Amino acid sequence: MTFLSEYIYYIGAFGLIFIGLYIVLVKKNLIKVIIGLSIIDTGINLFLITIGYIRDGTAPVFSKPGLKANEMVDPVPQALVLTAIVIGVAILALAISLAVKLYKHHGTLNLRKINEQKW
Amino acid sequence: MVNPVLLIVIPLGLAFVVPFFGFISKKIEKFIPFVALFFNLIVSLRLFPRVLEQPVHVSIGGFVPPFGINLVAGPIGILFTVLIALVGFLVSIYAFDYIKEKDQEKYHILYLLLLTGATGVVLTGDIFNLFVFFEILCISSYSLVAYFGDKTSIESAVKYLIQGALGSCLILMGIGLLYGQFGTLNMADLAGNIKSVHSVSIFVPLVLFITGFGVEAAIFPLNAWLPDAHSSAPSSISAVLSGIAIEVGLYAMIRVVFTLFGASSILTFLMLLGVITLLIGELCAFCQENIKRMLAYSSIGQIGLMLFALSIASSYGITGGLFQLVSHTLGKSLLFLAAGYMIYRSGSMNISSFEGMGKRMPYTALAFTIGAFSIVGLPPFIGFPGKLMIVKAALFEQEMLYTVLIFFILLATVIEGAYYFRVVQALYFKEEKNTQNQKREIAPLSILIPIFILTGFIVVIGIYPKLITDVLVSSASELLNRADYIKSVMP
Amino acid sequence: MNLIILLAIAFGGALITYFLGKISQKIRDIFAVFISLALAVIAACFYNVSSREIYYTGFLDFPFVLRVNTFSWFFAVTIAVIGLFSIIFSLNYIRKRGNTDFYYSMMLLVIASMIGIVLSGDLVSFYIFWEIMSWSTFLLISYNRGPAISAGMKYIIMSVTGSVVMLVGIVSLYLHYDTLVYTELSGLLNNASSGYILFIIILFFIAFGVKNAIWPLHVWLPPAHSEAPSPFSSVLSGILIKIGTYGIILLIFVIIQINVFLNLGEGILSVRYIISIIGVITILIPTFIALLQDDAKRLLAWSTIAQAGYIILGIAYGTSESVAGGMFHFFNHAIFKSLLFMVVGAVEYRTNGVRDLNSLGGLIKKMPVTFIGGLIGICGLIGVPLTNGFVSKWLIYKTLILNNSPFLAFAALLGTWGTILYSYKLIHNMFLGQLPEKYEKIKKAPFSMQLPIVILSLAIIFFGIIPGLPLHVINSIESGFGMEPLTINIWGIASDTGTINMLNIFTAVLVIGIMVWLIFKVSKKSTVIGQYDNYAAGTTVPKDKYNYSVNFYDPLCRMISPYLKDFIDDFYMSLARSIKNTGNGIRRIYTGDVGHYVIYIILFLALLIFIQINWELW
Repeated sequence: MTFLSEYIYYIGAFGLIFIGLYIVLVKKNLIKVIIGLSIIDTGINLFLITIGYIRDGTAPVFSKPGLKANEMVDPVPQALVLTAIVIGVAILALAISLAVKLYKHHGTLNLRKINEQKW
Repeated sequence: MVNPVLLIVIPLGLAFVVPFFGFISKKIEKFIPFVALFFNLIVSLRLFPRVLEQPVHVSIGGFVPPFGINLVAGPIGILFTVLIALVGFLVSIYAFDYIKEKDQEKYHILYLLLLTGATGVVLTGDIFNLFVFFEILCISSYSLVAYFGDKTSIESAVKYLIQGALGSCLILMGIGLLYGQFGTLNMADLAGNIKSVHSVSIFVPLVLFITGFGVEAAIFPLNAWLPDAHSSAPSSISAVLSGIAIEVGLYAMIRVVFTLFGASSILTFLMLLGVITLLIGELCAFCQENIKRMLAYSSIGQIGLMLFALSIASSYGITGGLFQLVSHTLGKSLLFLAAGYMIYRSGSMNISSFEGMGKRMPYTALAFTIGAFSIVGLPPFIGFPGKLMIVKAALFEQEMLYTVLIFFILLATVIEGAYYFRVVQALYFKEEKNTQNQKREIAPLSILIPIFILTGFIVVIGIYPKLITDVLVSSASELLNRADYIKSVMP
Repeated sequence: MNLIILLAIAFGGALITYFLGKISQKIRDIFAVFISLALAVIAACFYNVSSREIYYTGFLDFPFVLRVNTFSWFFAVTIAVIGLFSIIFSLNYIRKRGNTDFYYSMMLLVIASMIGIVLSGDLVSFYIFWEIMSWSTFLLISYNRGPAISAGMKYIIMSVTGSVVMLVGIVSLYLHYDTLVYTELSGLLNNASSGYILFIIILFFIAFGVKNAIWPLHVWLPPAHSEAPSPFSSVLSGILIKIGTYGIILLIFVIIQINVFLNLGEGILSVRYIISIIGVITILIPTFIALLQDDAKRLLAWSTIAQAGYIILGIAYGTSESVAGGMFHFFNHAIFKSLLFMVVGAVEYRTNGVRDLNSLGGLIKKMPVTFIGGLIGICGLIGVPLTNGFVSKWLIYKTLILNNSPFLAFAALLGTWGTILYSYKLIHNMFLGQLPEKYEKIKKAPFSMQLPIVILSLAIIFFGIIPGLPLHVINSIESGFGMEPLTINIWGIASDTGTINMLNIFTAVLVIGIMVWLIFKVSKKSTVIGQYDNYAAGTTVPKDKYNYSVNFYDPLCRMISPYLKDFIDDFYMSLARSIKNTGNGIRRIYTGDVGHYVIYIILFLALLIFIQINWELW
């Protein structure tokens, strides 16, 4: 039980990543694939946060006296995640808009059927 | 004293003011990339002599490494910067007349962002920052591939996006794993901590990086997006994608493998991968009827050749690989630009539509021929010294494996020759079928100038390779001497 | 005079010619002739000069050296002179065709790069000129369009294959000996292991063999020579393939040195013997394939391969006499084969592109000068005494017999027998027999075509009677290579093993000729029969009903043709097809389904991690 509680975030993060990968690999619908990519992204973000997370830690602000460094959460991963979220949103937005266009041209979002560009 | 930060800040800033200039006059928009890249070209050339003496370091926001983000303008970084600025500048001239769609301003914004991303990747010394610039490069190239908005380009862009996004997820995961172990993002600091890649916890991030960057660098089997994307993008963008984007991907990959991980044990594998990529690229290109797809597959082959040479990891090998990289950047951009204009005129991408172009567009056809000869590696063009250096590097190792591989590579060169010569014959020795538009059409100056300048570089460096070999040699030593890199960033 | 100036004139001339053509066709023609004349004159001025200059060092630490000695002078002069005659011949031939600027400029570029090859003094600049020659030749071969396109393709693919193989050899030499300058390289291989020397020989031989059309590498030559414009065919056949010969001589005598070469291997398995055998095969098979050809230029093309076989045989055999014979045959072949291509070209020009031997005939009255040229040309080709071909073949036969290689000698003689047959077919079907009605209005060849034909014919006779002049040069080349020189006088060779004195033969022929003439003069006048004065079954045969030249040698051809299928060509073509099929198969991995692409990425990643976890390779 302690094992689970210690690693629950990692398990959650990689669980999300693998769910996302599964969706990208198996699903035919473009929207679902995009959702899968987004889930992978979320998983990775969770993973990054987890790296810097300390249970019961506080923000790394040296305002309160007597606060030690090992009681503070690492701020760098949070900054990274912020950036990664922005990038993820950008990709998501682009992907969705391309999906709209794709549907206009092909009349379907089934990726197995959209294979004019090959060989 | 010029600061390398300007190389990133100016194009990035100008990219976002393009719409404001658009309010004043729609005609000014297209000159913004021209101005920005001209500036970049000048600045990078000014930096050039200084960098060769000693790498220039900039700490953003005053944080000294390993804290904060730092830029490292070493010989290899400045080499890429100059190449990016040069090709970007020429392609921006090409775009004056070539890009006539309604959404011009979006094209110019994205184009500048693409080149900013590329410049950032090669200059940064921080792995996460590298990722961010890499994403800027990728996202703008996804949208530029879709620029025409027709059936094929949207399809290619979607496929490119799915694979690219997956690749960048892998990179991000790798960064997370590394940060989790070492608590730093600075490449030099990380490199100082990594002694071997043997343990799985270090090896997994390495493989994630190789796969992630490999998608953008178009290494087999991660390159399926490339023929689609390069062939359906506007030709000016194909030139940049083929001449810069995949090279930057390759740069990121070798930077990670050499500097960050010092992973000499995986190089043999990468070398084999390079040869396989080369053979598959050339064999596929050999069977293409679509000229842009053919050029795209040929890019895959060339990337394989570069990867092979760089993976030899001797001074000769890296010098040869980088020379090949320069020659491919110049040659393939030229080919895409020249082919692009001929496609624009004939309206078809089929090789048979090029028949008789030698008569209709003598200069463009001549430039295409020179580019093709150069890519095949015929003297006196730039491809030949590259080929010579790679053969020399491979034979220098005096091992049977290398000798066998070099014969495979040369076989691939012959196949490459076969399909390029076929196009050259179509240009000059086949009569056009419909005889109505037999009259000569000289391309507008904005098309001809970049083509001529690239042709000039191809011939001049082909005859006088010393122009670039010095910087290549110091680039090679920068890549090979990991300890020096660490020491120079963190004294 | 500097060598670099010679090269500058050659390459600059090629470039300027192109732009002059945009101004005026006439000036361009004059300029092109002038440049090639200047090249010939300047090249000739280097006689007996031996100099060496480093002209360029900016190329990847390889110093570029130009050098001239008797060896390179001999080749340079031959190239420049044949080039000059081809350019003169082109003046009328090419006038009415399109893209003449391109034609002249490429022609001069080919000549310039060939001169560059023979004058270069290190292997890198040799290679650079070699490649320039390859691609410029490719552009010219395809000039005629139609079937010429696939001919050009075949040529360039084989040529590039050869040259990349050679590149490996060159770089390997550099890495072993740290220099590529001939003078520094020669003799260094004395101490190399015979395995390494063999490796180098094979690599270089593939490249030179492709250019020289040695037997299994010859397939590009027949289509290329027959489809190229005729003046260029004479350059191709006369000198371009001899650049391969130059390379082989360079390899054997300069880089490896003759004494090392002769000691490679034992008896029947020695390298020298194997190459000689290849030379003999190159003589025999193409000679009889030539017999089957109905296209005049294709016949000559196959004949070129066969004659190149004699040259290889002579050079590879390695005695003083055989090498002299080989080199002299190179010189002679350059003269008579370019002459013959010009003769065919002149006929082709006047008949508007007819080269089919079955539909020509009887042109002797219409084009007498061309006929005489053709006659002298085939005499040289066969090796009739008093022509230059006789002397060179005599040298080769003699040394083969004296050195106990009767089978080689017999095979070479058999080749000559075949040569007689196809040469006669060529001259008969074009000039003798009945004149087809459609050619009745034909005019004689224009002056610019007759001039080279006449000069080259005279040269054949001249060097046939006075072989001492070129043999003297060849002799000093051989002593430069450290071989035992022959005893030469102006009329031939005087040595204890065998003497040849063309003066005696000339006198004998002259005396017999006078006697024959006298007999004819004294005896009763013979009737002159007209071309159409034919009888069959007691009645005159109407014009065009009876043509001797159709299906010449038919029974013989039917007999030998099943054995002479060009299976090498089929092999290469099927190789090309299988590469194409492989490519078509491989590109199916890009299925167009993005799901598969994602699987590739994940599999690649998983595979790498899996390997590391299980085997810890990295």
